[in-house]
Amino acid sequence: MRTYHWILLILLTLGTLLLSYFGPGPSHPHPWDRIPLFYAAFGFFGCILTIFVSKGLGKAVLQKKEDYYERHR
Amino acid sequence: MSAIAEMPPAIWLLGAAFLLCFTRNRISSALTVLVPLGALALLLQMDQGESLTLSLAGLELQPFQLGPVNRVFGIIFLLISAIGGIYAWHVNDRWQQVMATAYATGALGVTFAGDFFTLLVFWELMAVASAWLVFARRQPDSIRAGFRYLMVHFAGGSILLGGILWHYHETGSLLLTTLSPGDGPAVWLILVGVCVNVALPPLHAWLPDAYPKATVTGAIFMSALTTKSAVYVLLVLFPGWEILVYMGVIMTLYGVVYAVLANDIRQILAYHIISQVGYMVAGVGIGTELSMNGTVAHAYSHILYKALLFMGAGAVIQATGVSRLSDLGGLARKMRPAVWLYMIGAFSISGFPLLNGFISKSIIVSSAGEAHYPVVMLGLLLASIGTFLSTALKIPVFAFWGKDPGLSVRPLPATMYLAMGIVAFLCILYGVAPGLLYGMLPYDRTYHPYTAYHLVESIQILTFTFIGFWVLREKLAGARYIILDTDWFYRRGASLVDAWFVHPVNVLFTVSAFLRGKVVESASRTFRNPYHWFKMNTGPAWAFLPDRERPYLGGIIVWILMAFVLFATAAFLV
Repeated sequence: MRTYHWILLILLTLGTLLLSYFGPGPSHPHPWDRIPLFYAAFGFFGCILTIFVSKGLGKAVLQKKEDYYERHR
Repeated sequence: MSAIAEMPPAIWLLGAAFLLCFTRNRISSALTVLVPLGALALLLQMDQGESLTLSLAGLELQPFQLGPVNRVFGIIFLLISAIGGIYAWHVNDRWQQVMATAYATGALGVTFAGDFFTLLVFWELMAVASAWLVFARRQPDSIRAGFRYLMVHFAGGSILLGGILWHYHETGSLLLTTLSPGDGPAVWLILVGVCVNVALPPLHAWLPDAYPKATVTGAIFMSALTTKSAVYVLLVLFPGWEILVYMGVIMTLYGVVYAVLANDIRQILAYHIISQVGYMVAGVGIGTELSMNGTVAHAYSHILYKALLFMGAGAVIQATGVSRLSDLGGLARKMRPAVWLYMIGAFSISGFPLLNGFISKSIIVSSAGEAHYPVVMLGLLLASIGTFLSTALKIPVFAFWGKDPGLSVRPLPATMYLAMGIVAFLCILYGVAPGLLYGMLPYDRTYHPYTAYHLVESIQILTFTFIGFWVLREKLAGARYIILDTDWFYRRGASLVDAWFVHPVNVLFTVSAFLRGKVVESASRTFRNPYHWFKMNTGPAWAFLPDRERPYLGGIIVWILMAFVLFATAAFLV
């Protein structure tokens, strides 16, 4: 990731922010629509949550060595 | 002419499967592409509402009926069969071609079935024919996985059959109709049987178990046909069942969690089939015209981009011989066209605007919001984060742009690229011109995917998922692990059943065989010379030597005569 990649992402986000303020609103509004950048936060924390929950489950029970089923035959 | 034009598509494919038993090489490859295309052309000309009825042993059957819903499924099944045929053009394996075509026959038979009997027959055909595509890889673990796959599908088919018989007993009709949750246990049995093929957790483990072990070309058919034909059956039988809304959301998230952990690239994609089918199941459960349109549209889109993803992963496996993410890397420079074609599929499944995943997934998500399921809507959006994370970030960043472990790359047949190119083109075409897909949908509900709101929603989620991934990307690197899933219950369960039920029986048989041997041995020792019992033996005790032990013949005759006289006298006196 170079600097201009990050700048592009920031510009993209600013663009969506402008669109959400000045563009037409949703046909079926939701309670969370009034929070600015709601979906950005949702995406970021959703991603982190997904990774940590999955990895936690994997470490706790789900991940086994590749010969697991062969050893237990 | 009209009789030929009105033949159900399944018949054409069945004929092709039969012909493929005798043809070879190019002719076989051409048949696998041209027959589905021909059947597609005929299907497009058929009038909706057309049907075929048949009376068999007093049962009213409807082996073919064409409606607005199954027309769309039929079109995409035939289209993907033809494209799968192009992808597999180089495969010179007669039985794989026969079975892939028979498998498509099964899917189309299910899709156009008007009654439960026809449905069940084609359902089982699908199970058997698709299992062959796993066996055909001819690796020991493929063969074992193929048997597990077959067993699970036979079990599911039996539950479905049980439900159908019960339902027939109660209603006296075999025709497919909408069922309602209050109709008694029969319909729930049918639901369970169908949900095995939908891959609804916990009945799903056959899918991520078998799909990564199927042949490179067979997996394309598998990714398209089994689950989506079952989604169609759900749409017909169980629309508006609220339990399916929640099961659908669980499915989407379940697949996502496992895909983060999986290491085999096709297993990651397989878990995302479960996740994506979850959207469709939720759409069936919501049961509004918009959500059911969404389910049909998403099935159509999903088949395309998922086939493209499996084709890309298959290309990697065919070229490198490696399927573990932890062993892959640096392919972006070595397999540039395949990588970019894969990326189109990956961006599509992630719901990037201008690609076909966006135009169909957003219908289901919006319909959840419209039908006042806000939590469901957020659950589905959360799953779309995970989809982007695993298919478009985890696989590409490590396998394509990751550190090159020095893999050698074999060249691929041009037909594989051609097939991928066609599907990628369709993914873009439907994304840019959603009207092409929306025009086919069964219910007359207008929907606009490219609203400011949806664009803001998608772009913000995708951008910040990427940022989250970039922060934590080290955590997602593949590692040489497998993940336990519900197949644990029958794979480990098998050894427990073996320990508790098979082993004791074996011990019993071994012990009784040993005892039987001992008894026979001692009996034969005891009885080999009865003279020895009374110490009357003149020869050795261990053997009866007739010449030594046998009494004079005269003596025996005297004894017999004496006995005869005795009986005769007794008879006279009495």
